[in-house]
Amino acid sequence: MSEFAVEVKDVWKKFRLYHERNQSLKSAFVRRLTSAHEDFWALQGVSLEVSQGTTHGLIGRNGSGKSTLLKCLAKIYWPTSGDIRYHGSMASLLEVGSGFHLELSGRENIYLNGSILGMSKKVIDKKFDEIVELSGIGRFLDQPVKNYSSGMYVRLGFSIAINVEPDILVVDEVLSVGDIDFQEKSIKKFADFKEQGRTIILVSHSMSLMRELCDRVTWIDSGKVIATGKSPDVIEKYLKAQKLD
Amino acid sequence: MSYLRSLVNSRELLLNLIQREVRGKYKRTALGQLWSLANPIAAIIIYTFVFSFIFEIQSPVGDPSGLENYALFLVCGLLPWLFFSRVLGQGVEVIVANAGLVQKVYFPRVVLPLSLTASIFFSWVFEMGVLVLALLILQAFGLVPLLPLVLVFMFLLAVFASGLAMIASIINVYFRDMFYLLSIALQFWFYLTPILYPVSLVETQSEKLGSIPGTQIGLIDFYQLNPMETFVAIFRNLLYDNRLPSADVVFVALLWTAVTATVGFGLFAKKEKQMAELL
Repeated sequence: MSEFAVEVKDVWKKFRLYHERNQSLKSAFVRRLTSAHEDFWALQGVSLEVSQGTTHGLIGRNGSGKSTLLKCLAKIYWPTSGDIRYHGSMASLLEVGSGFHLELSGRENIYLNGSILGMSKKVIDKKFDEIVELSGIGRFLDQPVKNYSSGMYVRLGFSIAINVEPDILVVDEVLSVGDIDFQEKSIKKFADFKEQGRTIILVSHSMSLMRELCDRVTWIDSGKVIATGKSPDVIEKYLKAQKLD
Repeated sequence: MSYLRSLVNSRELLLNLIQREVRGKYKRTALGQLWSLANPIAAIIIYTFVFSFIFEIQSPVGDPSGLENYALFLVCGLLPWLFFSRVLGQGVEVIVANAGLVQKVYFPRVVLPLSLTASIFFSWVFEMGVLVLALLILQAFGLVPLLPLVLVFMFLLAVFASGLAMIASIINVYFRDMFYLLSIALQFWFYLTPILYPVSLVETQSEKLGSIPGTQIGLIDFYQLNPMETFVAIFRNLLYDNRLPSADVVFVALLWTAVTATVGFGLFAKKEKQMAELL
């Protein structure tokens, strides 16, 4: 067993920026299937290692490439070159409630969404009460999801995802959802998660949250790693650099 | 192969997505699943009125079933067609319509077209059940031993249709024209398939025209390149005539199915990793 949960080795990711995208047959024929585009390298040789049982944060300005890296980690994008290795199962939480069917009830959506996130029916059965309890949707459980308030919607989505319990959880800016009570609950859930020896990789713009949750932080800018290290040190450097700009 | 394995691993997701489609579809309607019968029934009434009553088209006699009824002749070909056109017409959009999911969660994308096909298949089984009941009431008892075969060919058509839908849905990611193009192509396709009329009428015209000089190839040979012509012929043989389809027709159907399923699945396996950024 490796001591690293995730190893990212020299990952490059290229996007094509189209001046005029060939999304119709006509333009494709006119241009004979070549289109005017520029290559944009969102990630330029990113390497990092995340130790097992730690919480690792990714920070950086908007457009720095941290979300692209996160999506590569979540297997939604595939690196143009380089390699990402996982030691253990991985689940991602990039947007809560994606895949909810609005006409179906909360109960039905727990099963649907759970299986999209990779849970088996048995596991969902076992976790069902915990999910309902954490989400706090109570008597709305058998109502169609479209009648939910936006807060309830997000809380239900989050409660399902956090109960997937993978070895590695990849999280985008989703902790800022819900009221204070819910935020506290979810931060506690993260702590439990860590105690069980699971690894979390997350992105957030809230430095106070990052300081509270993360053991280590990687600062990314223009698709390159600027610094990796203990979270207070890197966050301080990052904030200093921001002020200088 | 590893892609096939990942599909097997997500069979539970597949089942849940099928349930989502089936349950979500007729939510908040009083008639529920009965609505899936409404479309074919309307089509049968319209086409029977126009072609049987106004144009007085001769309905062929089922051999050996002895059936002679235009509405039944029509519906034996119409139900497979409606299934096929729904799978293709809705399938072409399946990736684009689920963009939110594709861009946020990783799962084998092929479950999207497969769950769509399965949910449409579910309605089709229901429709075919009603048709079989009607045939039995009209004493086409020769059908009974053939029923398992009907199911086998329904499954085969489902595989063929989802293979085509997979190909179309990938093309639609690159070129959104595909959706509009396909809706027109399906109209042509419908009239180029012997659903409203017996294939014997095309044979007559083909004989009148003669074959291409120096060959034996006539209009009918081009006409029968249409894979849906093959499938409709098989379902008519089984349901209307109550006899086994000929071996060469079955072979052609199998060949088409193998080709579209392999190409469709292969395309998905190849393009899957890029799908999120192409959308």
